[in-house]
Amino acid sequence: MSQVLSQRSTGGAALGFLRDYGAIFGMLAVLAIFYVMQPAFVSPNNVLNVLRQSAVLIAISLGMAVVMSMRGVDLSAAQIADAAGLIAAMLILHGQPVWMAFVLPVVFGVAIGAINGLLMAYVGVPAIIGTLGMMFIIRSGELIATNGAEPQILFSLPRGITAPFLFLGQGSLGPVSMLIILAVVLFVLVYGLMSLTSFSRRARAIGANVRAAYLAGIRIRWVFALGFVVSGALAAIGGVALASRTGLAMPRGAEPFLLDAFAAVFLGTLFSKQGGVSIPGTLIGALFIGFLGNGLTIVGLGAPYRYALNGGFILLAMMVGGLKKRT
Amino acid sequence: MAFDFDPPRPALECRNIRKEFPGVLALSDVSLQVRKGEIHALLGQNGAGKSTLVKVLTGVYRQEAGDILVDGEVVRMDRVADAEANGIVIVHQDQQLVAQFDVTRNVYLGIEETTAAGFLKLAEMRAETAKALAKVGASFTPDTLIRDLSVAQREQVAIAAALLRKPRILILDEPTASLSETEVALLFDVVRRLRDDGVTIVYISHYLDEVLDLVDRLTVLRDGKLIATRNVGETSRGEIIRMMVGREISQLYPKEEVPIGETALSIRDLSVGSAVRGVSLDIRRGEIFGLAGLMGAGRSELALALIGALKRTGGTVTLHGKPSNPSGPQAAMAAGFALIPEDRRHDGLIADLSMRDNLTLPNIAKWARFGLINLGAEKAEAQALQRDLSIQPPNTATLTQNLSGGNQQKVVIGRWLPGHSDIFLFDEPTTGVDVGSKVEIYRQMTALARRGAVVILISSDFEEIVGMCDRVAVMQKGRVNALLERNELDVATVLYHASGGEEAEPGAKPKAPRAVPTAPAESPPGTARLRDAAGFVSHWGALIGMLATLAVIAFLAPVFLSPGNLFDVLKQGSVLAFIALGLTLVLVAGGLDVSAGAISQLTSNVAAGLIVGAAGSAAAVAAGVALGAVVGLVNAAFVLVFAMPPFVATLGVMFVTMGVTLLYNGGQAITLAGEPGFFYLGQGYVGPVPAVFILLAVLTAILHLFLSRTRTGLRMYAVGQNLPAARLRGISQPRYATASFVIGGAILGFSGAILASYSYGASALATGIDYLISALAAAFLGSTLSRSGQLNVTGTVVAAIFLASLSNGLILIGISNQALPAVQGVVLIASIAIGVVRRREIGQILLF
Repeated sequence: MSQVLSQRSTGGAALGFLRDYGAIFGMLAVLAIFYVMQPAFVSPNNVLNVLRQSAVLIAISLGMAVVMSMRGVDLSAAQIADAAGLIAAMLILHGQPVWMAFVLPVVFGVAIGAINGLLMAYVGVPAIIGTLGMMFIIRSGELIATNGAEPQILFSLPRGITAPFLFLGQGSLGPVSMLIILAVVLFVLVYGLMSLTSFSRRARAIGANVRAAYLAGIRIRWVFALGFVVSGALAAIGGVALASRTGLAMPRGAEPFLLDAFAAVFLGTLFSKQGGVSIPGTLIGALFIGFLGNGLTIVGLGAPYRYALNGGFILLAMMVGGLKKRT
Repeated sequence: MAFDFDPPRPALECRNIRKEFPGVLALSDVSLQVRKGEIHALLGQNGAGKSTLVKVLTGVYRQEAGDILVDGEVVRMDRVADAEANGIVIVHQDQQLVAQFDVTRNVYLGIEETTAAGFLKLAEMRAETAKALAKVGASFTPDTLIRDLSVAQREQVAIAAALLRKPRILILDEPTASLSETEVALLFDVVRRLRDDGVTIVYISHYLDEVLDLVDRLTVLRDGKLIATRNVGETSRGEIIRMMVGREISQLYPKEEVPIGETALSIRDLSVGSAVRGVSLDIRRGEIFGLAGLMGAGRSELALALIGALKRTGGTVTLHGKPSNPSGPQAAMAAGFALIPEDRRHDGLIADLSMRDNLTLPNIAKWARFGLINLGAEKAEAQALQRDLSIQPPNTATLTQNLSGGNQQKVVIGRWLPGHSDIFLFDEPTTGVDVGSKVEIYRQMTALARRGAVVILISSDFEEIVGMCDRVAVMQKGRVNALLERNELDVATVLYHASGGEEAEPGAKPKAPRAVPTAPAESPPGTARLRDAAGFVSHWGALIGMLATLAVIAFLAPVFLSPGNLFDVLKQGSVLAFIALGLTLVLVAGGLDVSAGAISQLTSNVAAGLIVGAAGSAAAVAAGVALGAVVGLVNAAFVLVFAMPPFVATLGVMFVTMGVTLLYNGGQAITLAGEPGFFYLGQGYVGPVPAVFILLAVLTAILHLFLSRTRTGLRMYAVGQNLPAARLRGISQPRYATASFVIGGAILGFSGAILASYSYGASALATGIDYLISALAAAFLGSTLSRSGQLNVTGTVVAAIFLASLSNGLILIGISNQALPAVQGVVLIASIAIGVVRRREIGQILLF
């Protein structure tokens, strides 16, 4: 992001400041309301708790951001996370080794991502349709595998069996929670992927002008398909982390993350100069959504407000983005 | 000028027209008279000002000074409609038609004849269309779909459409560019007959032979100035070319002699559909080889076919002695090809990215190890390229969209220099480029030639061709018309051949295969048969598949066909069909409503709530419809006022709607009991037939009539399927897009009320997405049932009932209904895949 310097002269320092930093002040202002209503909102415990909980959303959102930076979309991401958590839990319940519970779900995510990539990039199915269809195919698989949405409960098993698996979601390395470490590692990896690699250059070109990218000799189908694979893998990691954190996996339990991931990516566009997808912006967006959900719960407002506010923020972010483009 | 002596007043007159663009004087003091009932040609090289003049005449541009007179009266043309009101009608070069419409609907788009109630007078319009088609000598009927017509036939449709607008002055812009010789002759008959009927015709063409054959008088423009108007009998081709070329070569070309090496690239009988027809060329190392010709001559297509971006339909290419047939630009790049595309802003540059990103994009792997870029080395190379090509400003982080045209072009050239490219295809590299950058670009071409590369310069700027090239092939209508050596080159000669000169000089190497049959054999018969098969599958495949599926179900579970079960399926399917209908209405006009399911859920809650509050069935239904329409309006506002892509806008609205629903019902299901009147809507029967199905049938019939028989419906389709065409016909997109969102919303609201009645209340879960996928699956599966593959309400309803049958059947067979979502998902993907699989795009969507 820092490499892209705006060449246009800003009309007034104040306006430029507002444009560059308005989003972050807006977010802080929203969160400040929760603080005023319920000061415990900013207690170190609560903040750490939210950071821990946000790891799942961060993983899914980062994958979504990679796909969306190429003008794709992955509506199956939350469902992949869902199924991945389920696979992990079922493997543990069936007495399989722990490494399998970590590796196989990610393999599953990569495989679904590859099928998505095949459909969108090589067959040419519009991403909205293809990934929506995939979402429902996975959902069916989950329902059949769990005999109609029976929760796969791990926390009732003997601690000795589950401890290594639950360590990811509940343990900590020294004072730092494993989930926070996971989130940081994923962010660094994805940020690196989207700024330091040849993939990032090609992906950006495809997002900006696919015809020109094609004529410049880029394998547009291959690169576009890879985006879905990355998204599938990240969503699967998020799903495993969720199962590990909560100690259970329930079919369709991760579905609400789809909305949150969209909101995170769209809010993240506020942090890019040209109003496009930004990886650091997505991280900030995901954290904001995490704190927002927590704040709503603390002040006693439930899912309806979360839906409405997330939807509203998506619209708001796009309206601001539209204004930015005009100026 | 004493034109008052002339008794017949000119049909069209321009007096001292002046039009300026920033930095360019496009028309200066142009005065021109076109007599009533004559065919008047407008001639000039590219950039002479012809198209600007036409745009002024048709109300696209407004002149800075001067008057336009029609029949002696000064007229103002501020909008396209003003021109038509004055009897000026234009047939554009690339006539935009709605491919999925039939001929009648296309030619009448924008001037539909309707009854007082707003219904299309199809019979009358069809009869008029048939007459107009007869006039232009067309051999197809008014019911033919445009997509089944050839390019030449579409041209006939475009002219028929112009005739129906009762032109007094008809402007034809390059009408013959894509026609074969027989088709041209046919067109000329039509044009002459029109003249004899008293229509005044302004004819723009690059092909001088045709012009001399057809027109009565001609006017030559050069550099935005009027050179002369002549009677065709008083001039000659030589004189016209002299007037078009005019000046001495004004610019100095940095041409250097470079030793020319062996033949590197051999092209034999290369064909691309009807655009390139059997071109043979041998091009040598160190040579700057010109491909001269006018727009539409097939030069760009030739270049694209060389790099595999266009499919070849015949011929071979040999590169350095080996056959070359790259599968696409990527393979071509590996083989050494480098294309500098004609449309710099759209095909060449990635305008949103920086100079550095653009410069190193094709060869980025060169600086990467295991995918990780050595950013230092990569940046240094970008800076070196910037210095070598003296790209301004020097900061390589500058976004390329902020560069001048010349510097943008240098970026597009520069990005091929770090690689091992040795065949450079420059397609119109200097259009819109300042003089300084031009010289820089020429120097680069020379430097590449000196390096032993093959340099092909495609240009319609013949001065540049003459100034820079060692040899030149002049193309016209897909063929090489002449091959000129350096000592034979001058602008007039090139123009002579480009505008339809005689056979290539004896001794010229390429034997332009003039013997190619004039009927454009667009593809070999094998592919035609394949296409027929594909056409059959996409026509009937879906329906056959659906019937076969139902047959299997009936075989495995005979009870499926029992009347009781069938009516049950109809009842279940009808509820889904209502939602799918609402969504279809939005999709028709090019929108997308992700909030469709959420709207239905909200209104089902509100309707159920009203019933609980004893407001009565009528109020519940009315509130549902009204609320749905309001949400539709909100969707339309975000899409149109804030210019958001429909997906994003309706996604946001979907979540807000879901939140509002949960606020309304407080997270509790609303259960209804003892409301027989309200329940009758969704659960009642008329005889054995479910009442809800009868409602559905009525609504479908109304919507079908609305979409296929009214002006509003026709225009909604037009806006959704070919927006540029709709705009050219003066149709306002916001209006019809809003209509589709609001009508669709109202239907979704209505379906919510039905849903509440059908399920004895409203559910508390936010199941908006579940309804959405069923509705999308029904709409797109339904679209595969229509003749033209377009979305249509009957197809949607049939598909919705099919999906319900499928779910019913799966349960009857004993397959758990847990598989149902997967079935819907597969149906959705498959029905879309049928439509897209032959296109070559990737599944990107509009996000920002």
